[in-house]
Amino acid sequence: MSSPAPILEVRDLKTHFPVRGGIWLRSVATCKAVDGVSFQLLPGETLGLVGESGCGKSTLGKSIVRLLAPTAGSIRFEGVDLATLGRKKLKPIRRHLQMIFQDPAESLNARHTVGQILEEPFIIHGIGSAEERRASIDTLLDKVGLPRAAAHRYPFEFSGGQRQRIGIARALALQPRLIICDEPVSALDVSIQSQVLNLLLDLQREFHLSYLFITHNLAVVKHVSDRIAVMYLGRIVELSDAEDLYARPRHPYTRALIAAIPEPEPRATRPRFIGTGDLPSPINPPPGCPFHPRCPHATDLCRREPPPLRETSSAAEPSHAVACHYDLLPAAIPSPLGAPQKQESRDT
Amino acid sequence: MRLSPQAQLQLRRFRSLKRGYGSFLILVFLSVLALLAELLVSNRALLVRYQGHFFLPTYGAIHPGRDFGSDYAYEVDYRELKDRFAAEHAGNWVLMPLVPYGPNENCYAGQNFQPRPPDAAHGHYLGTDQINRDILARLLYGFRNSLLFSAGFVVMVYAIGIAIGCAMGYFGGWFDLGMQRIVEIWSLLPFLLVVIIVRAALPAGTSFGLGLLLFVVVAFAWTGMTYFMRSATYREKSRDYVAAAQVLGAGPVRVLFHHILPNILSILVTFLPFTTAAAIGSLTALDYLGFGLPPPMPSWGELLREGTGNLDAPWIVASAFCALSFILILITFIGEAIREAFDPKKFTLYR
Repeated sequence: MSSPAPILEVRDLKTHFPVRGGIWLRSVATCKAVDGVSFQLLPGETLGLVGESGCGKSTLGKSIVRLLAPTAGSIRFEGVDLATLGRKKLKPIRRHLQMIFQDPAESLNARHTVGQILEEPFIIHGIGSAEERRASIDTLLDKVGLPRAAAHRYPFEFSGGQRQRIGIARALALQPRLIICDEPVSALDVSIQSQVLNLLLDLQREFHLSYLFITHNLAVVKHVSDRIAVMYLGRIVELSDAEDLYARPRHPYTRALIAAIPEPEPRATRPRFIGTGDLPSPINPPPGCPFHPRCPHATDLCRREPPPLRETSSAAEPSHAVACHYDLLPAAIPSPLGAPQKQESRDT
Repeated sequence: MRLSPQAQLQLRRFRSLKRGYGSFLILVFLSVLALLAELLVSNRALLVRYQGHFFLPTYGAIHPGRDFGSDYAYEVDYRELKDRFAAEHAGNWVLMPLVPYGPNENCYAGQNFQPRPPDAAHGHYLGTDQINRDILARLLYGFRNSLLFSAGFVVMVYAIGIAIGCAMGYFGGWFDLGMQRIVEIWSLLPFLLVVIIVRAALPAGTSFGLGLLLFVVVAFAWTGMTYFMRSATYREKSRDYVAAAQVLGAGPVRVLFHHILPNILSILVTFLPFTTAAAIGSLTALDYLGFGLPPPMPSWGELLREGTGNLDAPWIVASAFCALSFILILITFIGEAIREAFDPKKFTLYR
């Protein structure tokens, strides 16, 4: 791809948490929440980041906006490495790098009016006079489709979808170029989700925003993403074009996820893949490929060697990287994964 | 400043709790009375008319006896002046407060010292103590001392407790760990022993006034507050609205004062009555033991001690005991109502 310079380039990012114990609270173990993640994000692009609960996707998002301090690796945002910057040096950069949170009831301070919430970014960065700030708040409310009178009300007076619009307005206030969306619609009713998603897409077009879209909902991520990264136990196991990922998933974990998307048609029959077991603990990850205890194709090699994220498509095609030792192309697989009788069925 | 709807709701709920709200009104009324004590209970006149001039001696300078035609240079005895003016019929008169006795005044100088029983005719509605000081006056002025003491106590305990507790919760890590150990050790020091030692260490003649006493008591009372502030700050800090402020670039001061403190205000308000009760209780206890305010200052603990020493004059101990119990019960009712008003579980009933 003849691509412009990436707006965000994450390289080998690791965010580990010490697990402390004993009376001196010595570090007795390490929780490797994010363990060597690399990807790029282009201007105006949406990268979906999916994975089940506890795979480290939110930790990754929080590390990028430096709510958490990464252990190793680099986060280049428009050429500046954020991973090691202090709070004071980060502050001017934060204008261009914002975040939308999962639960708007939690992420909006219940003691502040909507006006105060939206004014805060301008106050923190010392932008504009009181008069100009008020005008900016009105513009922001217009942009996210809320009435201007909302500024004098409190967050709890709004519905979930409206509250998330307030959260989006706050993220937009400083005209960012990259927004980390951490499960922005997961807390909303399904009927509201599409409205908020379309708002995000409209805003992206209008302001040429880049999104890192974190979610566990594969239906949502397909709708908004240009590319999708699948995370498992702190690592990216598959990274590809959105269409290609759904059409030709190459990692057994991705296949399991796609097979688990609920069908709107109740009688449709589809190959089912029932993964066994739970997500292993990131404190004590399995050796070799992190997915091997749950993988129906695991071999001795998988138990021994961790697979690198490698490119599987030819130069002409869009990139499709997968972290698996084997080329599990759809044709190469005898039957669509998981003859259920062989595995412990969990749905009985 | 407009109250947030949540605060308005809590205020409405508080006002609907009759017992707590009633206690609150009574306490406010009594506090106003105590702050205006000179106008109600004092040996100084409210208003004197002498030779066509009006005098307001209550808050002014001392008027020597000569000012009003007496033959002495020390302060006028207004009660005697009143009687004299009334006898002279010269158009001069004196308006005395409701109870014409001061808190430190020996009302029957020169006579043998013994407690006098309540005597409405002379204006000693609650009697006198063993050196003939009016008990009602001492109660009221003692109440004022308690109020001033607890106001100072609450302000200082809150300031220290909030500052240290919030810092512990916000910064966490080694600072939190170290401060916790310091707080634990500090709160284990025997308070009374330290008070005795401090008193003994003071150079002779230094009086143990309200300020110094407050300082010593607060030095040992701030620790309790830090526990609550620390855990509340920890809890609030992990919520997303704090993360959102941090992503916007807010520093620790802004996050603490604009985001965390307003959200833990309910804890502070809920503790307010109990902290006040604790302050009144500890001042009374110290006074009772004789380690509190210096002798001439009116205080409830001192009255209690005197009363228990003179049980044949039961009006002393009865007045002090009733006043103390009444105030503490009022404060407890208020505290209970505030707690209930802030309780998210709305339908708590005590039956």
